[in-house]
Amino acid sequence: MDTIPSYCNCKILILGCGNILFGDDGFGPYVAEELQKNYNLPENVDVINAGSSVRNILFDIALSEKKPDKIIIVDAVDAAKTPGEIFELPIDEIPENKIDDFSMHQIPTSNLLKELKELCKVDIIIIACQVESVLEEVTDSISKKITDAIPEVCKRIKEIIKNG
Amino acid sequence: MKKIVIHPATRLEGHAKITILLNDEGNVDDVKFQQLDLRGFEKFCIGKPVEELPRIVTSICGVCPWSHHLASAKANDAVFGVQIPPAAKKLRELCNSIAYCEEHILHFYFLAGADFVMGPDADPSVRNVIGIAGKVPDIAKKVVRSRWLGAEMLEIVSGKAIHPVTAVPGGFSKPLTEKERDTALPLAEEVLEFAKFSIDFAKNSIFPNYLDAVKSLGVIKTGFLGTVTEDGTLDLYDGKLRMMDAEGKYEDFKCEDYTDYIGEHIEPWTYMKFPYMKKVGKLSMDLDNPVGVYRTNTLARLNVCDKIRTPLAQKELTEFREKFGRPVQLTLLYHWARLIELLYNAEYAVQLLKDPAITSKDIRIPVKPRAARGIGIVEAPRGTLIHDYETDAQGLVTNVNIIVGTTHNNAPINMSVKRAAIDLIKDGKYDQGMINKIEMCYRAYDPCLSCATHNLDGRLAVKIDIVDNKGELLDTLKNF
Repeated sequence: MDTIPSYCNCKILILGCGNILFGDDGFGPYVAEELQKNYNLPENVDVINAGSSVRNILFDIALSEKKPDKIIIVDAVDAAKTPGEIFELPIDEIPENKIDDFSMHQIPTSNLLKELKELCKVDIIIIACQVESVLEEVTDSISKKITDAIPEVCKRIKEIIKNG
Repeated sequence: MKKIVIHPATRLEGHAKITILLNDEGNVDDVKFQQLDLRGFEKFCIGKPVEELPRIVTSICGVCPWSHHLASAKANDAVFGVQIPPAAKKLRELCNSIAYCEEHILHFYFLAGADFVMGPDADPSVRNVIGIAGKVPDIAKKVVRSRWLGAEMLEIVSGKAIHPVTAVPGGFSKPLTEKERDTALPLAEEVLEFAKFSIDFAKNSIFPNYLDAVKSLGVIKTGFLGTVTEDGTLDLYDGKLRMMDAEGKYEDFKCEDYTDYIGEHIEPWTYMKFPYMKKVGKLSMDLDNPVGVYRTNTLARLNVCDKIRTPLAQKELTEFREKFGRPVQLTLLYHWARLIELLYNAEYAVQLLKDPAITSKDIRIPVKPRAARGIGIVEAPRGTLIHDYETDAQGLVTNVNIIVGTTHNNAPINMSVKRAAIDLIKDGKYDQGMINKIEMCYRAYDPCLSCATHNLDGRLAVKIDIVDNKGELLDTLKNF
């Protein structure tokens, strides 16, 4: 049996982040599922539909001796771009947050990612998709523009994997 | 004074909103705290087959999906009017205990980590996870390994670690084979060793250092709510509810009767509801004379129970009570209580795996749709979790009410935040550092924002509006 989590033991880790109960926010999980179902990825690549549990995973990686070389985060954001637009979000552009207390519901994910990048030299890539609408209520229906973006993101990820 | 109506922020932007109203002299007159709720979830569930819910609700919270999964399964059992086989109950409890171990290990080492390694006054910039790992590498290794063992066990027992699916109406969908049990047992025993280490380590090296430091932050006097068995034993999966007042007097009630004991107070300025002790008649969040306020979470559960069924955790409880009495109000002691609970869950997981009945193949009974109401209650890490469903004759959902652990703490959080604000704002003077202290009061409860505030950043965004006595916005402070 492995003594460390599979997501610490891989070369490239892909995390689909988001909540499928909030419409377009489910983008990350849907991408992860698409990769798992329909793409043949190399042995040393791990894909996880992290849902809203990404912090748990990042915490384990941060503490683990063995870490992936590269982490690709896939997430939906509202950055006032064209709905369905895919773009990379440079981790350095996310503002540093002070951390007075730690909590699994509240820890800034971006802080964890920055620590991993700066202190542990893990390459962090954030692939974001602009959402169509900002929701007030729970729904599991995702905008067509967002669904249409899934193949493009998968293609982009394959390229990243190919280039090492 | 003008009444301020606050429009909750949109979901993806999501942040907690605090409005501070000042009087003529510039001192705090009132504080209104609100966080987003899972709005629209009921509407979303209506018309769905009720047996879909245990799978759907795991998306409500990425930190404690098992709690929602099990509460939903129990509500399903109640709606269908069935008693699940004993082995199914053991399997559900086993998954619950393993999930608790993972969560409590993470929570304790993460939350307390910065404090015990760096100290509560250390500069925020050095309090990072990697730094902690660097300072105590052996402990860091054990934390990762223990959590990984928990995930492995959940995969063995339930097939999936991240998104639980195995609790179903009428029982559990997959029996535990003897081979699987033999694989899982040594893992559970190793987690138990780490739980024992954790509480010893905390009592010797951590708690003595910061017990003094946090005695005054946002401290309030409240009642407590938790779950116990018929004879008052702590139980996280099933039992009766116990509502204890601030003096330690309590009343027990069946979960089906929760609406007789838990009222939901509405304020005009927020969608949030404020549960309170209904028997007391009203809710008052007055700091000097609170009425009807109660808390949930680890400390509450420890306060209300008479005993713990596993020997090591019981020994710790006895020692805890000798030191601090019963009930205990100090918010800090949530951490200590959490470690006792961790120990209990680790012991209980081993106990369940050693029980020969857990490999029984009789783990599920068939169910038939009917028009009914069913309530399922479990103790989630953050507090008593209530799933209340109604179905039509076809078994389709007609009504859903969910009270999450953190919701019970809406009133106490308001009070703690108000207490902090009153101390920090005088004669109209305040500073940016104030937002830190107010956040700390709020975070002490480790509230669950139910992923309503999920964004890439993931942090707890807090916006504070300071309003004068004419209702004019004086200033806005925010950390995003």
